[in-house]
Amino acid sequence: MKKITAIILISISAIVPVPAQQSEQDNASVKPKFRFAPLHIYLDSGSQPLAAYQFELKAPAGQVKIVGVEGGEHKAFKEAPYYDPAALANDRIIIAAFNTGRELPKGRTRIATIHLQIIGDAEPDYELKLVVAADADAKEIPAKISFEKGE
Amino acid sequence: MKTKILTVSILLGITAIAMIGYFVGCSQFGGDAVSSRTAEQSSEEGDVTFAEVTDKSDSEPQVVTKPQAILSQLQKDVAEDEIRLRKQLSELIKADDKERADILTKTDESGTPIVTFEDAATAFKGKNGREMDVLLESESEESAKHYFVNGPVPVLGDKPGAGGMGGYGGMGRSSRTDRSGGMGEYGGGYKTNGLAALKPESTGATTTAASRPSGSKRGTLLRSRGGDLPVISRRPDTRRIPVELLNVSEDEIWVIARPETQAVPVPVGEDTPGCGAMLAKLPKKEKEIPLPLKHTDVKGQISGYIATVDVTQQFHNPYDEKIEAVYVFPLPQNAAINEFIMVIGERRIRGIIRERKEAEEIYREARRQGYVASLLTQERPNIFTQKVANIEPGKNIDVNIKYFNTLAYVDGWYEFVFPMVVGPRFNPPGYTDGVGAVARGKNGISGQKTEVQYLKPGERSGHDIAVTVDVDAGVKIEEVECKSHVINKTFTSPEKLTVKLNSLDSIPNKDLVLRYKVAGKTVKSALVTHHDKRGGFFTLMLYPPESLSYLKRAPMEMIFVLDCSGSMSGKPIAKAKQAITRALRKLQPNDTFQIIRFSNNASQLGPHPIPATPANIRKGLNYVDSLHGSGGTMMIEGIKAALDFAHDPHRFRLVSFMTDGYIGNEVEILAAVHQRLGVSRIFSFGVGSSVNRYLLDRMAKLGKGAVAYIGLDDSAGGIVDLFYERISHPALTDLTIDWGNMQVTDMYPYHIRDLFVGRPVILTGRFKGNSKTTIRITGKVGDLTQEIAIGVKLDDSAVTHQGIACVWARKKIETLANQATYDNNPDLPQEIKHVALEYGLMSAYTAFIAVDSSRQTIGDHGITVAVPVPVPDGVRYETTVQN
Repeated sequence: MKKITAIILISISAIVPVPAQQSEQDNASVKPKFRFAPLHIYLDSGSQPLAAYQFELKAPAGQVKIVGVEGGEHKAFKEAPYYDPAALANDRIIIAAFNTGRELPKGRTRIATIHLQIIGDAEPDYELKLVVAADADAKEIPAKISFEKGE
Repeated sequence: MKTKILTVSILLGITAIAMIGYFVGCSQFGGDAVSSRTAEQSSEEGDVTFAEVTDKSDSEPQVVTKPQAILSQLQKDVAEDEIRLRKQLSELIKADDKERADILTKTDESGTPIVTFEDAATAFKGKNGREMDVLLESESEESAKHYFVNGPVPVLGDKPGAGGMGGYGGMGRSSRTDRSGGMGEYGGGYKTNGLAALKPESTGATTTAASRPSGSKRGTLLRSRGGDLPVISRRPDTRRIPVELLNVSEDEIWVIARPETQAVPVPVGEDTPGCGAMLAKLPKKEKEIPLPLKHTDVKGQISGYIATVDVTQQFHNPYDEKIEAVYVFPLPQNAAINEFIMVIGERRIRGIIRERKEAEEIYREARRQGYVASLLTQERPNIFTQKVANIEPGKNIDVNIKYFNTLAYVDGWYEFVFPMVVGPRFNPPGYTDGVGAVARGKNGISGQKTEVQYLKPGERSGHDIAVTVDVDAGVKIEEVECKSHVINKTFTSPEKLTVKLNSLDSIPNKDLVLRYKVAGKTVKSALVTHHDKRGGFFTLMLYPPESLSYLKRAPMEMIFVLDCSGSMSGKPIAKAKQAITRALRKLQPNDTFQIIRFSNNASQLGPHPIPATPANIRKGLNYVDSLHGSGGTMMIEGIKAALDFAHDPHRFRLVSFMTDGYIGNEVEILAAVHQRLGVSRIFSFGVGSSVNRYLLDRMAKLGKGAVAYIGLDDSAGGIVDLFYERISHPALTDLTIDWGNMQVTDMYPYHIRDLFVGRPVILTGRFKGNSKTTIRITGKVGDLTQEIAIGVKLDDSAVTHQGIACVWARKKIETLANQATYDNNPDLPQEIKHVALEYGLMSAYTAFIAVDSSRQTIGDHGITVAVPVPVPDGVRYETTVQN
């Protein structure tokens, strides 16, 4: 009896890890094939007030889909910026906004949040390019663009 | 031995249970199920749960530890939201202008971004102009904290500055003139005076970055269940739509008359529509709670002959668990929807136009994963479905839709129509692609792809509507009328007018029809143009020469086709019968007539055209008097009976349909019209308070005829008189156009229709050329040749408008969609999709999707709640809605 019991217990201990492993794999396989995440875009115009910008965001084809565009943190760019639908058809995201009000942001500010659907598990390699930044007089100003990933 | 067997059995049983439990546990109780359970437990206890999310940019966690504190917190949130919204809307007045954004998102044909300083200057140009300087320097430094890219700033180099139109790749010449007009509202604007182009290839180095995750944590408040919910106050009417200038009117549909529904003074009381709230029962629960669509806010701005309309649907979750709200609603059949924004608190997320299937997949996935998302799809050119997923208890989500449409013009009157409810449609047996009409809570019983749920008689919804329309006619407005609703109107100048729907007439159960008459007897034919990186676009309005009105018509063969289905019973069929009676009495001795009725089948007065003798007309009147409404709407039978009817070649044949158009198989009907039309001309009469204008308009268009709308309180006789006045003169036929120096392509409609008295014909197309020229239109009236000459300056900023490109795109989509009703060309859907995506327009094959990816709500997506609507005014619930 003791022998049988021991055999059964050993069998259990041997078998359980296998399904446990399988379950983990199953869990991994049911992990969403698609996930959603925001990408925060920042622009640093230094001491110059920022009145307008245009940037382009790219990722390898098929890795991400844009599912929304949200405005920035400063009230001058709070409104959802515009995107170019024609460029979107070519897997490019071109976004622009402007504000000629008196209160404009200076320094580093979040100008937009791009809501994305990410396909697959790999981290997309984003390519971000500032096309133009300008002040209220429509003068081009030096600026740095960057992004932060949200989850 | 028995003990050993028993022990072994027990051990084996335990093993089996353990293994089964393990597998089941892994597959079913992980992930969402756990979250959902936790959320439910927490909320039932009236506690607050924080979930970890990642967007540090969003709101800070709120800590409320006592259930009774939640309500006050919620109310505080609402008040704060209101304040934020007011501020935000105030900002929008200053900041919202798509025209400028389009300038700044310019790309060339390959999609390469192009922004010239001229464009930028145009975007900033205001009323008080002054010159701008151009800064040529920039810097490129890498951020210490984040992966980023900055480029050497665009170089203007030695490009000519002042006075130049330096573009890029030949595309730099933007329509600065037309774009500058609407910018005056942005205070402190500046005048551009020639700026050289930026070179995109020099505008910024590109760095590829595989950035590190930097998500931060954020708390989210889970509302407790139960308890009263705060009343959300209305949004302030502070939002202003940019002025649009466009000289186009409704397309070539000849609108004979519009409904004259008489608005009645609204009594104030408990039963006043809009003053109360319908109480619905949440599935599985007996608790009485309001419905998720609280309010619709409509703000229209009319300038010239185009309306730009902002529609905000305010959704609210009054339930104690998450919901998905689904709302089927109407918009004008010629609405070009090009903006879609989801508003969560003070955050505004612009929706993206995508292929419909793709957008639907994204929505489903976002919904499944617990993200707040919204999807807008088109079921018919005038019926749309709005879905909003994962609305948490007590939360508000607004959806803002922007569209423009051209107005109809008849005899100096312009007409703005805003439909408020989808009428209950009849679908032929076996048809599944229609629009089902079912009772509230009976989803799925119609078997149709799209379903509208209707409130029972006596029920009313808390959903109400506010409408404000600003009119800038450009010329003196002589008269204003709105017979469908009670309105308040304010003139700010002889040319400008603000109309508001009276708050006591806010039940959305019939079309709002606003008309205004402008000074002058007729409008002259005119050309409106627009240039952008894609080339030139134009819209040409043709009005018939006045001389036509002095000539008389040929003998007619009139065929009246009366819809005798259940939805027409009561007032609608009575109106239709009045109209036919009047028409019969106006026939001339050398005319003939026939009367056809249809419901489940079709029958008629006689087998052949009947001479319009007094005796025959009396016979016809008696026949009309005997008809009543009941049964289905097998319109196809009516079409066949009318259009297959033997034709008398010596008479001008007019087929007049009298119907509410409440059918779901429009495509089948339109295909039949196209196939069977022959020499007939269709003059359709829409009868009722909320007619299927898409069907009626398209029937008239395909039938090369006209359309008229008869409201329930209209004088049917007056409209018929107007109809006879219209057809009592010959048309200008066989039209040809000499475009002069314009090189015209892609013109819609393909073939220019006959030009009737009082009926404008609108042509839209693409062109090349920028000089002064004369367009000559010639046609025949009998044997006589008539000519219309229009002098144009193609670079004249006074007759340009950016919206012309979308007018053209919308017209192309419509033309292709019409073609698809009778042409099996498999490339047509692809072509429609391509145009819609390129111009960012809604269509049957595209949809708007918006997802808030910054925060995942807890638990599964909850239940789906359809927004029930009232049946249109005058329509009987019992005969039209499936129970």
